[in-house]
Amino acid sequence: MSHAHGVAATAADTSPRAIFARGIWRENTIFAHLLGMCPLLGVTTTTKNGLWMGAATTLVLVGSNAVISLVRRLIPREVRIPAYITIIAAFVTVVDLAMDAWAHEMHKILGLFIPLIVVNCAIMGRAEAFASKHGVVPSLLDGLAVGLGFTLALALLGFVRELLGEGAVFGHALWAEYPKALGFILPPGAFLALAFLLAAIRRFANKEA
Amino acid sequence: MSARLVVTLAIVGAVAGALVAVFARATAPAIERAREAALHKALAEVLPAHANAPQREAVWVAGRTIYPARDAGGRLVGLAFVATAPDGYSGAIQLLLGLSPDGRIWAVRVLEHRETPGLGDQITRADWLGGFRGRGLHDTRWEVKKRGGDIDEFTGATITPSAVARAIGRALAWYAAHAEEIRRALDAKGRMRKKQAQGGAR
Repeated sequence: MSHAHGVAATAADTSPRAIFARGIWRENTIFAHLLGMCPLLGVTTTTKNGLWMGAATTLVLVGSNAVISLVRRLIPREVRIPAYITIIAAFVTVVDLAMDAWAHEMHKILGLFIPLIVVNCAIMGRAEAFASKHGVVPSLLDGLAVGLGFTLALALLGFVRELLGEGAVFGHALWAEYPKALGFILPPGAFLALAFLLAAIRRFANKEA
Repeated sequence: MSARLVVTLAIVGAVAGALVAVFARATAPAIERAREAALHKALAEVLPAHANAPQREAVWVAGRTIYPARDAGGRLVGLAFVATAPDGYSGAIQLLLGLSPDGRIWAVRVLEHRETPGLGDQITRADWLGGFRGRGLHDTRWEVKKRGGDIDEFTGATITPSAVARAIGRALAWYAAHAEEIRRALDAKGRMRKKQAQGGAR
């Protein structure tokens, strides 16, 4: 899967404008590639959780993309995957420690999902498809763009699930006596909300094209 | 060729490890402060109104840290300690119990858990936790109603509230068994602090 996209990405132009258009919209990790489903289903019960998870992932993406791009000619092909994973894991640990220190409450809420960023295939995907084939600046921008696209998707899904599941926006209840819709709070709700969001986006995108 | 592969991976691992080690050292004090602040906030929530600093007057009794709450006259008005429910639906649940001196629940807060959002995580609901106030070891069966106890479970979750209820029951039994020891330790610590305070005033 990532190989096919990798080919497409290599051929694409590397102007910042094109990188951001791809990362945020045309090749959005969630909406176009359907990668990174684990955090998507796990933490998007509220907008705030989605934003924080997206921000943590973006930091890792920017760091790992930049470093992998820097060392791309030094790492032999045969061991590139373990080398990339080690680099990604280092950045994830740094972000995990930083959140524990300076965003303690959110660190507690997101819990295990922060260390699990290591296995978010979207990050490995960008390392393999983009950072290993491009210079530092485009790779950095690519990490930022893909991260923003991922954050956008997580926040959007969190918004929909929080609204339908708990009747709240950013933690503020809209109705005093809202009957909690458990379906939207639990993982199946993430699938359902995602399906409707995807359908809406595809329809919008088709019109655009 | 294969030597180059091994050396490359060794270097990547060493550099990544060094980065993590340096960052872990650099953030350690901030993480410690954040934990202290979180504990401070939680203690303020589970203890009755007090005039002292429970964290500074804590004593260590039979494997637990006891945080005492005292009024302006130095009289013990409550105490708090951490209890763990090891059998939550997704791992251990850490609770902070606030007790009045007679061993009844004053308030309970959940410090850490990984329970299912929307189901098990309702143990953090203030109205559910509020139902524990005034309960003691002997007037309550510390199990959910579905399993023959006195504690409410909630829709879709039995395992989590049951784990919490049983953990509180065990903690109260532990307190009853060690009440005398705890009182002595707290008294000793209180006298020591008073002496220090007077010494400082002179």
